[in-house]
Amino acid sequence: MAETTFMGVPRDKITWAPVIDYTRCNYCLECAKFCPHQVYEIREEEPRLIVANPNNCVVFCRACAKTCGPDAISFPEKSRVLETIKALRQQEGGK
Amino acid sequence: MAAKYVILPCNGLDKEAGCLARELALKMAAAMDGEIICPVLYQTAPSRYASLLQEGNLIVIDGCATRCASRIAANNNLKISRKITMAEEAKKRDYNPGPDWRLGAGAAAFVEDVWRSWQPVFMEQGAGRASEENTGLFAGPVEYAIHRHDKFIFRVPLEGFYFNENDCWVQVEGNRGRVGISDYLQQNLSDITFVTPPDPGTEVEQFGEMGTIESAKAVYELVSPVTGRVVAINEAVLEAPELINENPYEKGWIAELELTNFEADREFLLDGRRYLEVLKEKVADFNAGK
Repeated sequence: MAETTFMGVPRDKITWAPVIDYTRCNYCLECAKFCPHQVYEIREEEPRLIVANPNNCVVFCRACAKTCGPDAISFPEKSRVLETIKALRQQEGGK
Repeated sequence: MAAKYVILPCNGLDKEAGCLARELALKMAAAMDGEIICPVLYQTAPSRYASLLQEGNLIVIDGCATRCASRIAANNNLKISRKITMAEEAKKRDYNPGPDWRLGAGAAAFVEDVWRSWQPVFMEQGAGRASEENTGLFAGPVEYAIHRHDKFIFRVPLEGFYFNENDCWVQVEGNRGRVGISDYLQQNLSDITFVTPPDPGTEVEQFGEMGTIESAKAVYELVSPVTGRVVAINEAVLEAPELINENPYEKGWIAELELTNFEADREFLLDGRRYLEVLKEKVADFNAGK
């Protein structure tokens, strides 16, 4: 399911994934219903929603956060992630 | 001449963002001699508002990202003229709406500020948007590659277009670039109901946000494939977002940029042939995950 690379960089080296603020989350589960990549997992016990598969998350996609009424989902800063990707690509190229 | 406006606000009275939407609707209705649609009554008795909606331009005011008002409009095939989301307006102004219905101390000043910023848009036709004519600089794709999967057909232009892995493209002519979304993304989103492009003059970085597109399914953030300054917006897709569904590579372009760093940006982009391979993998993965 998950893409194994993004822009030529192994996906598991890129720290792009949603973070749930449980003080805001009301478990409406709109994010989990929306995301087609099984990033989220709905559970019976608390917390009822977790980020189960962070590496399935499409790098730079924030669409689930835009479905979140209570604004409980955040992502890493894009520019920093991009810097990391660029650095990793340079390392790869330099090998 | 001011157009007649019909305002459909959020009805979310359990959150401050919803109450702020109502406050703004009241202010706008008074200032522009507009009419407010009650979302609850509209869903119960839509005929009550049929003539109003035929006559006026529809402004939708969403409270939070749940977008109830937008969804009501989309579900009823209402054409949205302008849209305001109070949660986004709050972010722009570092205003923090509370979790419940009680309006905070700064609510009145916040609503006034939002109205002040939008008033010129409603009072002056086309204000705030560049209206640059299509100079014919960007010819349509000469040749498309086709990928078929079941009943779906995905097209990818082979020459002159570059893609990022977020399914956004740029067509480059000299130091100008036009951007939009791919056929794969528009089919995933299904019927596009609203486009919020970046404002002209906005400086955008590669992989930075460049507006949003919205369908009945979701809001999608446009991830810019290039760095540059926005010099024009496709006015046609504001009026008819369905152009993106019809042809995302020609009439459905979203914005035009003066490119400032294309040689460096290009290193992170895919040409049509390479994007086609990525697209095939995405289609296969998507169907495997069903």
